[in-house]
Amino acid sequence: MRNVVTYIIAFLLILALNFLLPRMLPGDPLMAIYGNEALIAMTPELEAHLVERFALDQPLWQQFGAYLAALVQGDAGYSYYYNSPVLSVVLGRLPWTLLLVGTALILSTLLGIVLGIESGWRRGTRRDKSLLAGLMAVSGFPDFFLGILLLIGFGMTLGIFPLSGAITPYSGLSGAPLVLDVLHHLFLPATALTLGYLGASYLLTRNTMITVLKNPYMLVARAKGLHDRKIRYRHAGRNALLPVITRTGIQLGRMVTGAIFVEIVFAYPGLGYLTYEALLARDYPILQGVLLIAAVSVLIANFLVDLSYPRLDPRIRYAH
Amino acid sequence: MHINLKQEVRRSDFAVFGIITLVLLLILAVFGPLLTPYEPLKQTSFPFELPSFTHWLGTNHVGQDILSQLIYGARTSLLVGFSVAVLATILSAIIGTSAALIGGLYDKIVMRIVDALIVIPAIIVIILVAAYLKPNLLVLILLLALLGWQGGARTIRAQALSLKEMGHISAARSFGASNLYITFRHILPDLVPILLMGFIYGIRRAIFMEAGLAFLGVADPMTVSWGMMIHEALDFSYLNVWRWWLIPPGVALSLTIISVTGIGHALEGALDPRLRSEANA
Repeated sequence: MRNVVTYIIAFLLILALNFLLPRMLPGDPLMAIYGNEALIAMTPELEAHLVERFALDQPLWQQFGAYLAALVQGDAGYSYYYNSPVLSVVLGRLPWTLLLVGTALILSTLLGIVLGIESGWRRGTRRDKSLLAGLMAVSGFPDFFLGILLLIGFGMTLGIFPLSGAITPYSGLSGAPLVLDVLHHLFLPATALTLGYLGASYLLTRNTMITVLKNPYMLVARAKGLHDRKIRYRHAGRNALLPVITRTGIQLGRMVTGAIFVEIVFAYPGLGYLTYEALLARDYPILQGVLLIAAVSVLIANFLVDLSYPRLDPRIRYAH
Repeated sequence: MHINLKQEVRRSDFAVFGIITLVLLLILAVFGPLLTPYEPLKQTSFPFELPSFTHWLGTNHVGQDILSQLIYGARTSLLVGFSVAVLATILSAIIGTSAALIGGLYDKIVMRIVDALIVIPAIIVIILVAAYLKPNLLVLILLLALLGWQGGARTIRAQALSLKEMGHISAARSFGASNLYITFRHILPDLVPILLMGFIYGIRRAIFMEAGLAFLGVADPMTVSWGMMIHEALDFSYLNVWRWWLIPPGVALSLTIISVTGIGHALEGALDPRLRSEANA
């Protein structure tokens, strides 16, 4: 229950931020709420309508009431730049971000676990040290710079991957060719993001592995004469998994916002690129919508992790 | 925790590499104005000039000297990194220790807020606020610090809670020591390693965030930074100017983050007794 209260507080904080930011600024709040694009389309009737819709002539707490009432009805504002409701624009972009970040998260976690187990098992050897140094270096590269390097190398110089977008426009593909086209576009951004995430899951697995290897049951396993690989993965690796999975769960919450920079580099049409487009167009309703959706997905992801945790770690089940 | 940090750090290749690189960058940042041949924002030549003896890395799309911008970029990165980390560490220390020592309702309320702040995706909040406020460097530093203390506060509170129950603290209390005295005399000194870790990772996060915001184009255009250089150069990636315009700031940024990470990794290894061993990699 404690967590649910935390989530509610977090959600209220986001709402308050979304509500207060445009209204606290000096100048016309309508301009701040709706951005440049709306002013071009602005007529006295529209202005009167918007003032009424946001209760802008009322005291602040009544404005907040109007804001909440609209949200409850699923109205998170209207984008004059895209000429459609904010929620439909933002939700329409969500699947691409989920595809990109989901792929990168799964790949980097799996790869990080395997490399971490191997590295921790051979701690202090040359192979461990070079792997450690290599991955520390890679994880120091900001993901957008990794993306740019991949783009320049494989996209522009070698020309074997598309430079931008998530599908070939107007190609009319369907079925298997469409899937291949999507994967072709996904490859470079997903690689950049995977490399960006890899260091953390690798380091965590390696550290946990080193701790796990000191347990007495490792000695027992060895005394039983078990095969090396079986000890490494079945006895040590499995017990080193828990913190990594927890961390991936936390990362899951960052999914929606985690790819902002990489999406921009590859013009990948997810939420991050939408944020960028909205920034360029000063389309504030969209920015607020992205923050709202990002916050909600963080809360949902955390909630799911909380639910699944007792299944992963029996100690928690018994403790309650 | 009585660890000879100096000795531990010296034993790690990563930390030695990190410290040397950071010191070099610091020298570059401090003496930047003396080292740069041109004003970084002044138009000194024609646009897109190739690298030459007068402009070692050529000029950008408005004829500004790229090498001068690169050197000034170190100032911005390090200034933002260090000041945000200092502010955030101080904030987290104050909030973490006060929550642990005062306890009760105060502790409950503060930790609820901390938990909620941890859940909120900071990067998108910063982007939104930056889009509205169009912050200069000072505002950006304050903003990053205000959204960067919560994780540290939780760790520090946990550590302070366990310190609080220790023998020497109750002994001090029985002599009539006040909360403030205990904090400064006994708790904070024992928290130094944790604060240091938070500080190091705070630097990394702040440098990363500043570069990201500049890359997005929401930072102050009058502040030269590596992120901004990458942002501008990317628009011309179809020319081959990226070789001397885009790669250098990217490499400089990565090198900075890698050296900070190296120091952090060595500290982590030194502070976690389970990770310490004869073969300290």
